[in-house]
Amino acid sequence: MEALETFIVESTVQDEGDAYKSIVADIITELVLGGSIGRIKVVIRPEDSLFQMAVILRGSQPAVKVSDMAEVEISNPIKKEITVSIEQEKYLPELLEKLWARYGRTKVYQPERRTLVMSAEDLDAEVEFLKNMVIADPQKTLQSRLVEMAIRATPEGFRVRYHSMDNNVFVFAASEDILKPEWIEEARQMAKELMGAE
Amino acid sequence: MAAILEPYIYEGGIHKHTLITELLEDLGGYLIQKIPAATEVTLVMLIPRDDVHLIEELGKKLLGKLTRAPLTGTEIAVVSPTLASHHLPHSACDVAEFMRRGGANTNMIGLARGMGRRVSLSDNYERKLINEHDIALFSFGTFSDCIKNKKPKLLEGITIPRIVAGGPRNLKTEDVANADLYVGGIGRVAHRMRKTGELSSLDVLLEKVVEVVEKMREDLAKDPLAVLPARAMKEIHEQIPEIFNVLSPAPITLQLDGLRVKLPYDEFHERVEDLEFDEGLKLSDMAVITKSKMKNYILVKIKRESEVGFTA
Repeated sequence: MEALETFIVESTVQDEGDAYKSIVADIITELVLGGSIGRIKVVIRPEDSLFQMAVILRGSQPAVKVSDMAEVEISNPIKKEITVSIEQEKYLPELLEKLWARYGRTKVYQPERRTLVMSAEDLDAEVEFLKNMVIADPQKTLQSRLVEMAIRATPEGFRVRYHSMDNNVFVFAASEDILKPEWIEEARQMAKELMGAE
Repeated sequence: MAAILEPYIYEGGIHKHTLITELLEDLGGYLIQKIPAATEVTLVMLIPRDDVHLIEELGKKLLGKLTRAPLTGTEIAVVSPTLASHHLPHSACDVAEFMRRGGANTNMIGLARGMGRRVSLSDNYERKLINEHDIALFSFGTFSDCIKNKKPKLLEGITIPRIVAGGPRNLKTEDVANADLYVGGIGRVAHRMRKTGELSSLDVLLEKVVEVVEKMREDLAKDPLAVLPARAMKEIHEQIPEIFNVLSPAPITLQLDGLRVKLPYDEFHERVEDLEFDEGLKLSDMAVITKSKMKNYILVKIKRESEVGFTA
């Protein structure tokens, strides 16, 4: 599945649907969801105060380990020092958090932006441990970002919400009145149709 | 009555800009607001019509630019249904920005419960606050159904001209109940308005608002104010020096028919009431001075000539 291979926003008046598409597109960009969403369909019926959304996610992204974003090596066996050379700075804040928790803030030495130096007793075991340390799990944050996206995209007054996340299928419905079961069913149906579009 | 005053904005370097303000004072114009920003300065002023060319020439010498700013001396309320990220900062702030370019002072007002369709409502306090302004500019969303059928109730109880900005371009002013003017193409967006189409819609809005203001000025000229708000402002500057300690960007905000003095009411209202004019009059003879709904400010609404019997 390509990223955003299907992107439909429908409304009673199609011009308004198109205008809303730009809002949804902006929100997807803001939350950096572009790469994670495969297909998305939004249906808005202002006269019913109804907002429905179905999203099919692209396959799950693997957790990020230190070895994915940095080089870990023993730099000085005598001083018992390990150096982490960062290749992808994107995850540096998360990595620092973890390292500070493990070694203490003063014991993680950062001579420059992309280099971290720590010392340890058992060097080999420590290097192995660091390489396999999970620093970020995109899957975990993805769901919260999806919900955030749904809330931002919904017209603000629609405070009655339903959402479900099943494997890679996200179904969302919102209204300002009590949600009718058939509306949720409709949203589920939308998701099924999107799945069938393969 | 003094010479006819024309509103202008001067933008130029801060170097020697006092020459402009001095000349303005000599000509009998009024400096309404001075906004210094690093090495640049923006002066909002009222210049006597016959002498505009003098300021223009001096401005040219100082490598500055003088542009007509028809909204000078107006205070516009830009009302958004709520303060949530759905409605702000785009497009309401872009709307306010364009009004300020026209010379207006704007206040952003987010209603407490303006969101939604059936559930949206405005509070008595909010309506009173909006009514203190010259014009209320409502920034609505994308759907014509909402703008036509649900949102007009937010306009109820607003006694000043009500202008609605919304997304759909095919709506007419008559379709939006209670509105005095509708301008399309400015609906909800999640980015700053900078595309050609968006900017031209904002230009149209500014143009339309200017038309409304010109019309209001005409109406005002038929039965003029007892004293010019700008003159009252000058007197406040001279007689209540504490105004210079106010840190707000516009310590005195001019309105078409009054002014908002950003000093605490309880402490200063008597001094504002007793403001003396050369003619031997006090401000309280010519204006109604009340506590503003905005913070603890003083709101001065100047009476008309027909009511007072003279103009200062």
